[in-house]
Amino acid sequence: MNPQSQPSTPSYTINCRMTHEAAALERLCQVVRIRGFRIATMAVETAGEHLNIALTLEGTRPIAMLKSQLEKLHTVAEVALAAGSVARSRSA
Amino acid sequence: MNGAQHILEAFHRHNISTVFGYPGGCIMPLYDALVDDVGVEHVLCRHEQGCALAADGYARASGNLGVCIATSGPGATNLITGVANAHRDSIPMLVITGQVPSGLIGTDAFQETDVLGMTLGIVKHSYLIDDADSLPTIMEEAIELAQSGRPGPVWIDIPKDLLLSDVADAPFPQAQPSEPASPDLKEALAMLRAARKPLLYSGGGISLAHAEETFRAFAESSALPAVVTLKGIGNPGKHNPYNLGMLGMHGSRAANKAVDECDLLLVIGARLDDRATGKLDGFAPNARMIHIDADAAEINKLRDADLAIRGDLNHILKSLAGALQADPLAISEWQKQCRTWYTTGGFHAADNEEPLAPITGPAFIRQLSRIAPDDTVIACDVGQHQMWVAQHYDFDHPRHHLTSGGLGTMGFGLPAAIGAQFADRNSTVINVTGDGSFMMNAQELATIRRYNLPVKLIVMDNQCLGMVRQQQELFYNNRESQINLDDNPDFVAMARAFDIPALYIERTDQIRRGIETILAYNGPMLLHVAISREENVWPIVKPGASNTDMIDETARTAKASKEQVA
Repeated sequence: MNPQSQPSTPSYTINCRMTHEAAALERLCQVVRIRGFRIATMAVETAGEHLNIALTLEGTRPIAMLKSQLEKLHTVAEVALAAGSVARSRSA
Repeated sequence: MNGAQHILEAFHRHNISTVFGYPGGCIMPLYDALVDDVGVEHVLCRHEQGCALAADGYARASGNLGVCIATSGPGATNLITGVANAHRDSIPMLVITGQVPSGLIGTDAFQETDVLGMTLGIVKHSYLIDDADSLPTIMEEAIELAQSGRPGPVWIDIPKDLLLSDVADAPFPQAQPSEPASPDLKEALAMLRAARKPLLYSGGGISLAHAEETFRAFAESSALPAVVTLKGIGNPGKHNPYNLGMLGMHGSRAANKAVDECDLLLVIGARLDDRATGKLDGFAPNARMIHIDADAAEINKLRDADLAIRGDLNHILKSLAGALQADPLAISEWQKQCRTWYTTGGFHAADNEEPLAPITGPAFIRQLSRIAPDDTVIACDVGQHQMWVAQHYDFDHPRHHLTSGGLGTMGFGLPAAIGAQFADRNSTVINVTGDGSFMMNAQELATIRRYNLPVKLIVMDNQCLGMVRQQQELFYNNRESQINLDDNPDFVAMARAFDIPALYIERTDQIRRGIETILAYNGPMLLHVAISREENVWPIVKPGASNTDMIDETARTAKASKEQVA
């Protein structure tokens, strides 16, 4: 699966806080890709033992599904969908 | 104590007494520590894939953690299929691999691979140890994580130098058991009471949650007509009169009909896999859905639930059973209807009365089901025989049916049977396999011999990749492509080369004697069963089609007559 970005593709901003461990970012990016989203922008800051990651994502699948998959990662402490993101339910 | 000794210490602390592995360069310090250890039995398989799949089978059969060990590089890459198999079926597993020494990581050293990077998508979590003092804490965390919530494989990759380093003594962190939350079940009960045609749909999550007994009590007290997924086979018990069997691509007409007609689907410990649901648009079109699962990410993943309950299945099922026992559901008409569907559309393969006739898959499996002891563990491989077992073997417990559901790993059955036999040395364990699958991990016959495991092997040989051939016949205009295996070795001679006795049968009148002979033999034995190359698994739903569009044998007969006329 390789979702194509088109003008109408919904865009979302997600803020994620996770433990700064080996392969942390790879783990995060892999879940984003396999669940059908493309990273448009990514900003990472170190905060003590954590990483704060701001992602702008594009994809046509329900963002709630990605959020719940990211929350399943053992080292992810928090995932927040930023205000202004196009939050749609799967059936919408 | 060094890192390697700390790993063994963690095994002891968690009563891990059996591990499956294969030594090599970077894991040698752990194997050195094993020499002085008396509490852990190390099972040497003949290929790392065999180790991982045996650990998987051990975990499925016992309900405990499966552990596998390998070295860096090819040792780790060979584990991958087995670990992916455990990941897809949520099997609790701990994987330990040696890695090249810390200073050599990233230098393309001998037998170096980026194990952490390579395995991210097939683990529940993984660690690359970079500080020996973190090892005790990580071992505790990994063992807990692999078994808690929705279980899965956890992989620890340890550089060789850290296996040899002294580890500072520190108190072991004690996991705090958490009290399961008590979700509000009033709405679920109200929905069940309002429904006229409620249907129970359960999957592998029941045994993963160790909720087999509470589920059975719930199924009995609710008297709900029940369908199961491939991994849920055995959940309702074979004597439950409302069990309609497996649904989905190779499910019973009765099960798929009930799903199509029901007005409430109570999904417990299942993830609505495409092989079970068929085309989602046509799945349970008239039903509201209650989805109960331990994993929040499964809820609303593929179909929105009208009511979602996340939590401990044991706890939830007990509460529901209590409420329904006190005030039973009034669904007698629906129960009667489902029973009628089961009578006409369940799996009822007739025994062939003609003694000299060739053996058919369904008839063989039904005889096996009748002859084998009740608590027999069947470890399947993948293909037509796997579906015949799912359809025609009467399982009374989900842990008696070991099958590679999510990944569909050919070669699973033989090592999984080895794992199951180590889980209970006194149980009857049978690997039912096909000629394609058998050849994928046949090297593990040497493991069976080495440990003198009384595993029984049944090779259903149609001299081809039957499931692929069937789909080529039905969906690719009968254009056969690369499915022919008629140059298979002589399986009886092959087994004997491993010092395992074997028998060959090909006629219906030989089935009973063949099965009784291998079961009576005190040790491992192989039964080579010749079956027709042309036999298909019926019914079948075309991949991507709705479960209401089931195809059965009449489709093939109709096609043949049409071709004859043309």
